[in-house]
Amino acid sequence: MKKVLLLISLTLGLAPVTSYAQTVNEPVINSTLTGIVVDSKSQTPLIGALVRIKGTTNQVLTDNKGKFFFKTGQKLPYVLEAAYIGYKKQEIEASTSPLTISLVENESQLNEVVVVGYGTQRKSDLTGAVASVNKSLLSQPAASFDNLLQGSVPGINVTQSSGAPGATATIRVRGGNSISFGNAPLYVIDGFIIYNNNDNVNTSASNGVGVNALSTINPSDIESIEILKDASATAIYGSRGANGVVVITTKRGKRGRDEVSYSTYFGQQQVRKKLDLLNASQWASLINDVNESTGSTKTYSDSAIAALGAGTDWQSAALRKGPIQNHELSVSGGDDKSRYLISGNYFNQDGIVVNTGFKRYAGRINYERNIGDRLKVTANIFGSQSIENKLYGNAYNSINFQSTAFANLLQVSPVVPVYNADGTYYTASPYSSVPTNPIQDFKSTINRTYIRRILGNASAEYKILKDLTLKVTGGTDLINTKQNYYSPSYAGSPGGSSTGYSSQGYASVGSIAASTWINENTLTWDHTFNDKHFLNVLAGYTTQHQDDQSAVASAQKFPNDLTTFNNLNYAGTAVLSTSDAHESSLNSYLARASYSYNHTYNVTISLRADGSSKLGKNNRWGYFPSLGLSWNAGRESFFRPASEIVNDLKLRASVGRTGNSEVPPYSSLAALSPSNYYFNGTLVTGIAPTQIANPDLKWETTTQYNVGVDAGFFNNRITFTFDAYYKKTTDLLLNVPFPLYSGYSSVLQNVGSVENKGIELSLSSDNIKNSAFSWKTTAVFAANRNKILSLGQGTDYYFPLAPTGYVSPVIVKVGLPVGSFWGYNTAGLLTAADVSKGVPYLTGVSQQVGDTKYVDTNGDGAISTADKHYLGSAQPKFTFGLSNTLAYKGFDLSLFFQGSYGNKLFNFLQQKLEIPTLSLNASATLLDRYSASNPNGKVAKATNAPVAQVTDRYVEDGSYVKLKTLSLGYTIPRNVIRQLHISQLRVYVTAQNIWTWTKYTGLDPEVNFFDSDNTKQGIDYGAYPSTKGFLAGLSLTF
Amino acid sequence: MKKSLIIFSLLFAAACNKLEEDPNSIVTASQFYKTQSDAISAVAAVYSTLNTDAAGDFVIYGRNLNLLTGNGSDDQIFSPSNTNTDVRALGTATYVPANDRIKKNWQQHYFGISRANLAIDNIPNINFDTTLRARLVREAKFIRGLLYFNIVRLWGDAPLVLHDPTSTDVNAQKIKRSPKDSVYAQIIADLNEATLLPKTYTGADIGRVTSGAAHAILAKVYLTRREWAKAATELQAVINGGYGYALFDDFLDVFQQATKNGKEHIFSVQFGTNLGARNSTNSLSVCNFGSFNPAVYPGDQPSDSSLYQLFASFDTRRDVTFFTQLYNSATGKYVQFGEPRFAKFIDYSISPLTNQNISGINFPVIRYADVLLMQAEVLNEINGPTAEAYAAINQVRARAKISNLTAGLSQADFRDAVFLERRKEFIQEGNRWFDLSRRGGTYLYDALKKYPLKTGAAVKDTLYPIPQSEIDINNELTQNPGW
Repeated sequence: MKKVLLLISLTLGLAPVTSYAQTVNEPVINSTLTGIVVDSKSQTPLIGALVRIKGTTNQVLTDNKGKFFFKTGQKLPYVLEAAYIGYKKQEIEASTSPLTISLVENESQLNEVVVVGYGTQRKSDLTGAVASVNKSLLSQPAASFDNLLQGSVPGINVTQSSGAPGATATIRVRGGNSISFGNAPLYVIDGFIIYNNNDNVNTSASNGVGVNALSTINPSDIESIEILKDASATAIYGSRGANGVVVITTKRGKRGRDEVSYSTYFGQQQVRKKLDLLNASQWASLINDVNESTGSTKTYSDSAIAALGAGTDWQSAALRKGPIQNHELSVSGGDDKSRYLISGNYFNQDGIVVNTGFKRYAGRINYERNIGDRLKVTANIFGSQSIENKLYGNAYNSINFQSTAFANLLQVSPVVPVYNADGTYYTASPYSSVPTNPIQDFKSTINRTYIRRILGNASAEYKILKDLTLKVTGGTDLINTKQNYYSPSYAGSPGGSSTGYSSQGYASVGSIAASTWINENTLTWDHTFNDKHFLNVLAGYTTQHQDDQSAVASAQKFPNDLTTFNNLNYAGTAVLSTSDAHESSLNSYLARASYSYNHTYNVTISLRADGSSKLGKNNRWGYFPSLGLSWNAGRESFFRPASEIVNDLKLRASVGRTGNSEVPPYSSLAALSPSNYYFNGTLVTGIAPTQIANPDLKWETTTQYNVGVDAGFFNNRITFTFDAYYKKTTDLLLNVPFPLYSGYSSVLQNVGSVENKGIELSLSSDNIKNSAFSWKTTAVFAANRNKILSLGQGTDYYFPLAPTGYVSPVIVKVGLPVGSFWGYNTAGLLTAADVSKGVPYLTGVSQQVGDTKYVDTNGDGAISTADKHYLGSAQPKFTFGLSNTLAYKGFDLSLFFQGSYGNKLFNFLQQKLEIPTLSLNASATLLDRYSASNPNGKVAKATNAPVAQVTDRYVEDGSYVKLKTLSLGYTIPRNVIRQLHISQLRVYVTAQNIWTWTKYTGLDPEVNFFDSDNTKQGIDYGAYPSTKGFLAGLSLTF
Repeated sequence: MKKSLIIFSLLFAAACNKLEEDPNSIVTASQFYKTQSDAISAVAAVYSTLNTDAAGDFVIYGRNLNLLTGNGSDDQIFSPSNTNTDVRALGTATYVPANDRIKKNWQQHYFGISRANLAIDNIPNINFDTTLRARLVREAKFIRGLLYFNIVRLWGDAPLVLHDPTSTDVNAQKIKRSPKDSVYAQIIADLNEATLLPKTYTGADIGRVTSGAAHAILAKVYLTRREWAKAATELQAVINGGYGYALFDDFLDVFQQATKNGKEHIFSVQFGTNLGARNSTNSLSVCNFGSFNPAVYPGDQPSDSSLYQLFASFDTRRDVTFFTQLYNSATGKYVQFGEPRFAKFIDYSISPLTNQNISGINFPVIRYADVLLMQAEVLNEINGPTAEAYAAINQVRARAKISNLTAGLSQADFRDAVFLERRKEFIQEGNRWFDLSRRGGTYLYDALKKYPLKTGAAVKDTLYPIPQSEIDINNELTQNPGW
């Protein structure tokens, strides 16, 4: 942290500091000069612009007609400097009088137009907290754009679920509001609203971790990303705005010129870290110790141990180097009537674990055309096919995780060889219940997902009057997913409830077709009164319909493994097929009015009414208002003297309500579910209720308050944004525990509340900026505090469902953050002194010297579940990102650091690897186990499969800092390439994830096994290992 | 320009979605309980609670109940390879009210009762064949009675829920525990009603509840309540009711796929292999054997070798109940396992034998040997060890190929002999803990404390604690004494 702070202060220190004396000298008149300062576009006079004779302190302000006047001792010609807020500073040689100085409007941060909900707004008039993702980050290579958001703007927290290619990520804007449902932000791509639901690309045919639906989008198509954070910005999205909105705008053609661009990169990735496990001889002596603990004889003699040597490193046997490549070709251009862009993309990443990888083919056409003076039509069409080969494991969304392939591999005994002497796979391991080989399983199991997505929307804008525009948009998002799974008859990978081996080959095919269509109709009145009153009024009606249809068919007992999943007719036994379908609709009315007085005093009010089919019939409609105010103090005349230092200063405040209704369809109905019984081998379908009707089910409501400051210093060489917010979410959509004797374990109700509060900071500085060298630094920092305020009447806490046979490491408890870890404190190992003193032992377990010593937290003289307490939470205390971009002549260098501080992780994998058994391999930490020969050992002595408790030993600090990217590029000078008709050519090399600082002992601190489940964040049940790698690429434009 | 205006107005008109849900992938309450097949499905859902868990957990019969009645008794301890604290605690008499397995049993039993309640309340309103309608309701009543019978024995006084909740309001569900006697009254009423069920079924109905099953369970209810005369009447109805129940000649046949639903089986929970079904595997099989590696203990172990030593070497039940070695067909060799392990629920029809997670052995809830031993016990309680009582117990002993019980025992000695016989006959069949606890007083405690791993046992263990989470939600529930 100190380093980061140091860097920030350095960048501040390096910033140019200039000041001007405010006194005007008594002149000796040698010349008089009159002039006017005007806006370059409108030619309207600029009032209060500063004009100074360069190199002197002689300066004046323009009057209310934009005019200025000098009487000076200097002779003409001389150089004038003219400055006006929001305009570029200009130097003009004055040789005659009168003089017209036309200033060009500054395209600086505070004056840019930003994309907001259902339109755009001048950044200066914004009242909400809206952050734009840095362009240099967006241009970094990535499989999916969500990878690029991490550390990009303050307040957005992205956690990869694992290192697998195409893996899902958990994205939270300003913490999680909800406990049970829907904490992911809303995505708006070119105006098309998407709630990313990974259930739409995952069926139960495939198993292992879920596939990420966002990875279907080609990140190179993205021109800009804005994150809408506070209620003033998000309330226009009403019921779906509570978790923030990610607004994505794709690239378009530029008027005047056709351009062909090609870019590519190639690279190689490798595992970032391997776990230290026992080798064969170390494992054999552990087995001896376990046997000794139960009074059994030793399995291995000393000479046998020595003969075993290192044995098999199963981890390395499954890992490889993974090549990665990306190609992108685009043609774009336009004339005064049309603009177009056509792009194609091919991305291919081989995973670092054998037989895994991710591939994407994508194409896009963006087109817009003006028809006449009043009508503009636009079409954005995107299509892609993604193919993912992933590791097998537990069923998607299953609570049980025992068969996660990579974690299981780590536990395979090192005394078992991979191959027989003849090169075939060794399958005679006495530690496996079926004669299979894990590496053979990895290579032979087919677990493949195809996702085909078409996302298209078209709109027509018609100017009814000069300042009144009607816009009608129609769009659709079609996602078709096919998943194929085959576990051959010789494989130990799961098939149905057992293995491919025991089911004699198990095949499963699943498909899901999800579609969304949206129609939006808005009317915008954008009017300016007296050049000072800027009014923008929006009203609209939108409607949206979603549906998904899925089917899964499986079969087993194949006579051979030739047709795999391709023809289930070859199977001997069909497994019950399943299908499912859901539909939901959302109708909305929306209105917003923004008023700005001279871009100085701004107010925005918005209201949206949403009606959702998914909620109870008594509460379908919800109303979401917001109010935002902002004041550009920097534009006030009293501020002008300071404008050389602080050129922009804006204060913002907002309040509003947003909602969340991301429950599955039919959640409010009295639903019945099937469960079957076999009478004498004949199936009879059983049907019974599984859900009590709740006709009052309604929105989760988040009320958010936000205050913020935006400031620009030294003509925006330094820009600074600060936000503080408080959010309270009430009427949580919560699965409330119900008395079990009712026959129901929980019911979905609107009870309880959660608060999130925090601050966000971003700072950007052009440390050095001249024609040869530039250095820009951007730092972002965010701290969020999350707390459960209530869980409803009479409930203080509950434990989320844990996998069968395991104690939940997390608790949902009033007063604690969502996703808190709950367990015992330990104090090393029991010593002989402890035993003679009679310290309390863990209830129900016989404990001896060398076993874990639990702390009697509540001092009742016994170690029981009452001694469990809060061990920290998965929510970080703060997160940050730091990017530096340097350019010297044609060279550019960028470094991007990103980190998280104060979050805890439950290292379940380590807990599992520290359980000595007679059949599974264990962590190398067990080398330091307590024994007669190692009385100072730090790890509990070896016993057969001791009970594992959730303790502070496994709740680890998950803080980290990563050098996410280090990239060096060179742009070839134009005069060199001009003969080749190339207008731009850049080559670069990039290193990804090459440096990480963390105390976390697992594979990677960026891990989140139960990705979307908010109550189970930060659990590491053994994920796909993370990667580091190098890429080399080029981009050229003709 | 006009054209575009027309297009705009068309688009406006198109945009209207209705917000009422009309699900076509789920059945909702208002659509169901209308036809004969709805009634059949409603009752199949009741049966399914015996061998399926909604959340994919282990099931009541075939695993979870066994943790309370087997591991909680003096027969069993936990598996040394099992790292589940709650399972281990049940095997070592160190469980607490927060024990997850106790809660799961509670939940699963009431889940079954809830579905039975729905069937019992809704089926009479459906208009179809009145004979079938009455039968289906009675089947549901049997299962409700059976599950409440487990509940009242495990926990004593219990919430008596007979109807499905009508609202999501937690407060509306808060009720007190009903006294044991009221719960028993309901059980007896339900089982009496079930005695009107058919005696037998054919074809695809085999496996449903028969009147014989109702009489047999009812006998056990009266036996547990020491209402000996009533118990004797019910036992007579089973033994002399023309059902044709008899013991298998070979004890092994009680637990094999090929002899499912045979002459000895009165009511069994149905499991199957490779039916294309989910969750229809008897988990006890996997818990008894899973690999030829003697270092791995897939499941619960006998509390110590004394259990094995209860059996004479020629007692045919011994080698059906335990294994010390198994034949590995892959290597053609016998693998020695050292200390005896449970074998009763190993499905020998599975190949390879290690693949027990597709086992299809039924779980016998009540079988004829149980009826005979109840008969011996009840007759002894009424008139002392009569010849008829001796005949009943000796029938069971003869099938095990052991000699007749020593003649001339006192009433007390005969009683103990019957309990010992029950112990040997029903290992892992969900009887032992019930037999120990129904003796009352310190009987269960005295039996448990003999075992070094169960020294934590106390008299309070004669009833299981009400799950802590239930008391947390409903403060009207009281905890059992000592907990």
